[in-house]
Parts: sequence; C-alpha cells; structure tokens
Amino acid sequence: METFLLALGVLLAGGVFPLLTHRLFNFMKAVYIGATVCGCGIGLYAAGISLRSSEIVSISWPWLHIFMLSFSLDSLSAFFLIPIFSICPLAALYSFHYMNKGQQSGRTAINLFFFTVLIISMALVTTAGNIISFALAWEVMSVSSFFLVMYEYQREATRQAGYLYFIFAQAGAMFIFAAFAVAYSHTGSFSFAQFAGIPAQVKVLIFFLALIGFGSKAGIFPVHIWLPHAHPAAPSHISAVMSGVMIKMGIYGIIRIYSLLEVKDLIFGQSVLVFGMISGLLGIVYALGKRDIKKLLAYSSVENIGIILIGAGTGMIGVYSNNAIMAGFGFAGSLLHVLNHSIFKSLMFMGAGAILQKTKTRHIDQMGGLIKRMPLTGKSCVIGAVSISGLPPFNGFIGEFMIYFAAFEGLGVKGPTAILMMLAIISLALIGGLAVTCFTKVIGVAFLGEPRSDKAASASECGFAMTAPMVVMAAACVIIGIIPEPFINLVFLSLRDIHGFSAVPPDVIAGLARNLGLAARLILALLALSLILQRICYLGKEVAKGPTWGCGFTRPTARMQYTGTSYAMSVADFFRPFVKVNTVYSGIKKIFPRGTTYTTRVDDIAEITMNQGMVGPLLKVLGKLRWIQHGNIQLYFGYIILTIVVMLFFI
Amino acid sequence: MESILAYAIAILAAPLFPGIILKVKAFVAGKKGPPLLIKYYTLAKLFRKGSVYSTSTSFLFRMGPAVSMAAAVMALLFCPLAGMIPVLSFQGDVIVVFYIMGLGRFFTILAALDTASPFEGMGSAREAFFSMLAEATVFMVLILFYRLNGSLSFSGYFSGDNPITLTGPNGSLLLLVIVSMFMILLTENSRVPVDDPMTHLELTMIHEVMILDHSGPDLALIELGAFCKLIFYSVFIAHLLVPAKALEGPLYDVVFVVAVGAIYVAIGITESIMARLKMNLVPKFILTSFALVSFAAILTTMGFI
Repeated sequence: METFLLALGVLLAGGVFPLLTHRLFNFMKAVYIGATVCGCGIGLYAAGISLRSSEIVSISWPWLHIFMLSFSLDSLSAFFLIPIFSICPLAALYSFHYMNKGQQSGRTAINLFFFTVLIISMALVTTAGNIISFALAWEVMSVSSFFLVMYEYQREATRQAGYLYFIFAQAGAMFIFAAFAVAYSHTGSFSFAQFAGIPAQVKVLIFFLALIGFGSKAGIFPVHIWLPHAHPAAPSHISAVMSGVMIKMGIYGIIRIYSLLEVKDLIFGQSVLVFGMISGLLGIVYALGKRDIKKLLAYSSVENIGIILIGAGTGMIGVYSNNAIMAGFGFAGSLLHVLNHSIFKSLMFMGAGAILQKTKTRHIDQMGGLIKRMPLTGKSCVIGAVSISGLPPFNGFIGEFMIYFAAFEGLGVKGPTAILMMLAIISLALIGGLAVTCFTKVIGVAFLGEPRSDKAASASECGFAMTAPMVVMAAACVIIGIIPEPFINLVFLSLRDIHGFSAVPPDVIAGLARNLGLAARLILALLALSLILQRICYLGKEVAKGPTWGCGFTRPTARMQYTGTSYAMSVADFFRPFVKVNTVYSGIKKIFPRGTTYTTRVDDIAEITMNQGMVGPLLKVLGKLRWIQHGNIQLYFGYIILTIVVMLFFI
Repeated sequence: MESILAYAIAILAAPLFPGIILKVKAFVAGKKGPPLLIKYYTLAKLFRKGSVYSTSTSFLFRMGPAVSMAAAVMALLFCPLAGMIPVLSFQGDVIVVFYIMGLGRFFTILAALDTASPFEGMGSAREAFFSMLAEATVFMVLILFYRLNGSLSFSGYFSGDNPITLTGPNGSLLLLVIVSMFMILLTENSRVPVDDPMTHLELTMIHEVMILDHSGPDLALIELGAFCKLIFYSVFIAHLLVPAKALEGPLYDVVFVVAVGAIYVAIGITESIMARLKMNLVPKFILTSFALVSFAAILTTMGFI
C-alpha cells in the first residue's frame, strides 16, 4: 500500500509542476511526462505486488473528525489499476506533440494538472474502501474530467458537450449516492463490509440504483448520450483516457457492488446481460452510421461496454447456477475485454487525434489515402481495427472467445437461462459482424484509397511522441493476442476476491489459453507462408503500375470513391426501427437541374426520446418557474432562511 | 499422418470440384462445357502471369490475397475430412474457425477499398452486410449443435458417443440445418442466388467486383482461398448428410467424397434453375436460413426433443 501511495505522491508532484513552470513550455511538458511515467510505473508495480500476494492491504485515516477515509487494495482493484497506470502515461506522452500550441501554455498546464487529478482519482476510486472515500474519489474524477473536456471552452459545441457531460456525471452520481444512502440507512455504517447483511429486497433496490449510476458513467444504452458528445469535444488523448479507462470505472462499480452485496439471484445477471446486449448491438449500429470519426469511436465504446457487460452478466448467471466454468470465464472474459478495450480504444482515439491534427477535420468522408502519408499511424490503426473487431490473432478475440465459451457453457443450464444465452451468443456474433463492417469503414475510408480533400492530400506523419504510444499499444494488442497465457492467468488471478466465485479447474484455463495461443501463432505462420509464396510467385515477373480499373471510365476523380456514409447505409437501414435515418433530398427539378443536395444522418433514438420526453417538458415546467430567479440577492437570502425554518419542523 | 495427407489432398483437390459445377450447368443448358480440370488450367495461367497494381493502392492491397488464402487454409485444418480426425482440434475451435474466416473477409474488404474504386466499395459494403447476417445463422447452428452434442469442435460434432447424424434421435432437426447451411454456403461463397460469379456487370456483383483489380498470382491466391472455403462448407454439410456410424473404413470415405460431389452438383443445379435475387431480397434469403435454424434450436429448449 505504501508503494501505491508513493506512486500517487509522485503523480501529484508531477501534476503540480506544470502550474508553476508553464512559461517554459517544452520543459514543463517533458518533466510532467517524466513524473507521470515514473508515478504510473510505481503504481503498476504496486498493483503487481497486490495481485501476487493474496492478502488484502488497507489503510485509513480520519477526516473532519467524523468520517473515516479508508482505502484497500484487493485483487479486483489491482486489476483495474493496470489499465489506469499503463494507458495514462502513454496518453501523457502523446500530449507532448499533441498539445503543441506554445501560446496556450497556461491552459495546457491546467489541462495537464487536471489530467493528473483524473489519474489519481481513478486510482482512488478503484481502491476506495468505504462509502465516503468512494464518493469523494468519484466526484473528483467526474469534475476533473469535466475540466479536461472543456479544454477548448471558446467553442460553443465544446461547452454544450461539457455541460451535457456534467449533467450526466452528476445525475449518475446522484443515483450512486442514493444507493449508498439506502445502504447506510440499513447498516448504519459507512463501511462496505456490512453491505452483505442488508435484507434481500433492499439489495435489489441498491443494485439497480447503482446500476443506473455506474451505467451512465460506463455508457450503457440508453444513458450513453454524453459519450458521443463529450469525446469529440475533448482533446484526443483525453478522449483516449476517458473512453479507454475512465468509463471502465463504471464497470468496476457494477462488479464491485455485485461482489459487496453478495447477491446471487438470477435477476441481477439477467438485467446486466440484457443491458449488455442492447448496448452492444445498438452501440455498434450507431457507430456505423456516424461520419465524425471520434463520435464513431465513442459509439464503439458503448458497444464494447456492451460486450463487457454480456461477459459480466453471463458470469453472474453462472454464479447463480453454480457453474464454475460459466462464472469464471464470463467474468474473466469481461475483465480481459476491459484491459483489451482500454488498449485498442485508446489507440484508435490517438489515431483519430493524429488525423485531426494533420487534416483539421473529423469528418471521415474528407479523409482518405492517409496510410501512405502517415504510415506509422496507419499501420497501428489497422492493428487496432482488427483487434477491436474481435478478430484473431489479436487481443480482442481472446476476451470475446472467453465470453463465448462461458455463454456456450450456459446453454446447458435448464430454464430461461438457455434462451438468454442463445440471445447472448447471437448478439455477440452480430456485434462481431457489425464491428467488422464499422472498422473496415474507418480504415478503408480514412486511410485507404485516394485523399478526398486537399488537407488529407497534404497530411504528413506526426511527431514521435504521438506515434510512439500508438506503436506501443499496437504491439500490446499483438502480444496479448499471440501469447495470451499470462494475461488469461492474470484475469483469473484478479477474480479471486469476487464473492461467490469458485475456482475454475486450472487445467481447463491452461488448456484453453494454450490452444488460443496456438491458433493465433498458427494463423500468423500461415500468413507468413502465403506472403512468402506470393513473393516467390512474383520473382522475375513483370509488375506494372497503372490506374484503378474504372470499368471503362478513364477520368476517375477522388470524389467518385464510395463514401463511408453509403458504405454503412444499407446496414443502418436494416436496423431501421431502432435507428432513425434522416434523409434530406432536394430532388431534381427542371430540365437543367442545378444545386441538388442530398444529406443523410443517423440519429440516436435514445437522444431523441430524451429530448422529447424529458428535456422538453422539463424546460416547459421550469420556464414557468423562472420568476423565482429575479436577481434580487436579499430575496435569495429570504429563500434560504425560509427553507431552514421549514426544515426545522422536521427535526 | 493420415489426416495431414487428407488435408493436403483436400487442398489439392479443391479446384477440381468447381469444375463439377460448371459441367452440371453446361449439361442442364445442353452444352458440352469446359473440361473438368478447367480451374487448374486457370490457376496455372494466373500463376505464370505478372500483375498490374493500381497507383492508389498501398501494402494492404497486396496483403488481402495472402490473408484470405491463409484464413481458408487454416479453416480446413480444423475440419475432419471423411473418416479422418482433423489435423488440429480443441474445444472451441469452431469459434476460432469462423472468426478466422472473418479475418480473411476483413482484409479482402480493405484490399477492395484500397483501390479507390466506387464499384469495389459497393461490393465490399454488400459483402460486409450479408456476411454479418450469415454469421448469425452460423452461430445459431453452433448453438443447436452444442445443445445436441455438448461439443464446440468440429471433430467433437461428428465423433464420440453422441455424434450429430441424420440417423440419430434428433436427425429430423438436421434436415433444417442442412437446408440452411446450404443457403449459407451459397451466400458465403458468392453463388447464385446471392451473387452470380458469371455476371459481367460490375454493378450487380458482390465478391467478383471486390477483386476486380487483382491480377496474376494475387488473383490465383484469392481463387485458391475461395476453393478451399467452398470445400470447407461442403465438407461440413457432407458430414451432416452421411450418417457417422453406418459405414466404416474406406467405404465410408468413398461415400463421403461422393456426398461432397453431390453438394457441388446441387450448387450447379441451383445455379441452373434460379436467377440471382434482387439485391434487397438477399437479406431475406439469409434471414430465412436463420429462421430455420432458430426454429430447430428453440425446439431443443422446449423439451420436445
């Protein structure tokens, strides 16, 4: 635990440093990155120690005389520390060349400071040992990330996105605190340890309140609405950390509360599973329909949260039905996907940031041909795209395979579980197919073909501080994919402290890990063989260059390429009841038509429903109450006194 | 050793079978048709040639054929051929195999989009859409087989105490599976009525239009991969057609090869008597196969079987 605190101390020192030295722009950033990398390294070491030893270390000290702040580090906490402490330093490194505007040094320094606060608060969320410390860390996390989103506050869109995020973060926190309040009213203690003794019906209430709260942070459909707004508004390394790491705190919360309440009933697993399937399917369909690359990635996070929840839900059902393999592989697949997603999603967001910096656009149909101009970014993103589509031989497949394995195991369970498991498997299969469609679109339209705009044509590779993190993460995707054994063991190790979890036979885990590794290495070997065969076939042959075959048309232009929108439209159309496709077509008029326009847009039904069903009526009612706010300070004091007087009657 | 031999024979014989399809189509049309070995001649011709690469393309364009070939060859490794055990097998290999095929598709699509051709973009959009739907059917089949047999590997399906076979207690369900897997075979291998390999209009193509710009040995690799994929699906269906324990020894192998041939004949007949479906009917065609298997799978959960 001391090592962990040391890590936080180093991080904090590094975070305060830029505030003092922001005039020395590059020096400030370099020292900041050095301190962050050091701090995170120590933190990873601390997590490693905790995973290896089976005891749970904790620490606590009094605060404001009446509260105890307590933090403890068990295996589950240690596991969630791994993505925090491995992705954040890479994002910090990335910011060196990404935040390159010297004239905004003050603002950059503040941004770096809040980034550190975010890292520390996330680490504290995962180690919080009682209600008070959890609530504090959670709020600091939400507020610091709000300031990070607001970096470009002069832009209207950024401010709107920031406020939307703030409302969702606070409303979500309200649900979590409500859950804690209900728990407190039954246990009379701030400690997490007594949650298990709460009556069963109350546990249901607590779990579902917490599920809504944590779900809004994680981005579960339909409370995911802030993600596609906040991620595009934030600087790219911030989106990378928010999407790759911070939303996982919601997942941590769900698994933690499940473990604390020591519940086994079917309803918990079932509802988590159903939310997972809905988030997974709709998330990827919306991602497919988006043209803004960062919005697309944000929706893809909703999808991946869905996959993680499918795993967790399967695990919970496995616990209920006393099926060790189903429970073990469900939770393990879910946790491994947490780690994997933090890697490839951060990679993709950093790739998007690199494109954004060079082409100044987020519109995917304005890009094209970037892999020739930004080779390192392009190749890393191809690896990221294959991984995020869950395809072997990279890491995404390992996690998804384990979830499949658990779900197939669940088919043998009697009753409605079998039907749910069928739905889970089919959703996973559909999500897999849709993810392939979505990420071939990202790579194919943004990186391949001909540049679709002048800016894309003049793009160049970005600085080493931006490409290096991407290359490292791409390498991580490959390594976890082809040598999965240590990582699979790692997730099973971190499941140790989850309640109700019984050990999976080690030979099953070892066998599966070995086979997956074998399959991944085999496909790589076969690929190498066929590449060699291809090379041999071309030995001494004539290889010519020419234009793309235009089916007889000899004057092709870059604008004739298939756009990302048309690529995705038939699929989006297929899901029409759940996806609103808005098309505006001016039509062709007169003999010599001119100025024809055609725009099409995919809208999120959750957002539309929320706007029409909640925000609209709320504004109407609140508009009628606007007279309360008149700007007269004396009367405001009057309100306060009146409130206190009224409250006195209730004491 | 036997299985590796069978594996090698399967890959070498893969180009033979599409010749059967052409012969059958020619026979139905009252023509003589090309020689049975036509695909070998084509491959040999392609391997002898050089290539023209589009200036729009990157290294991914060259990788596409290699990945799709490697994926198809890898899938066959896990597939039990006739009476042999497969070269490799483990619990869960079916999931790996269908995802490996997804990998092949991923790179084929990327190679197509790399050419900057609108036609190839259109083809890849269709390919991605239809194969996404087909994946649902395939996984429903896996679910059904798991319910019947408790296994997650190809060799587990067709061996052991409780093999999946037409003559078994649940044989009637397999009729549904055979029909829908045949529909998936037609979809995944771009045959009529989903796609027409013989069409000459780029606008109506799916798979063929994606590989328009590939030539020479690259095209040969793609074709070889496609033959392997087709034989993979045919072998899968043949296992369902031929009862596992009815025959033993070489006789079984002979019957099995005849069954594989019969599937190719069936493809040829389908192509002769049907036209390609309108593009917007293809999803319905694939969903029909999904409905058939779901029906069978749901029956198993209701306790009837």
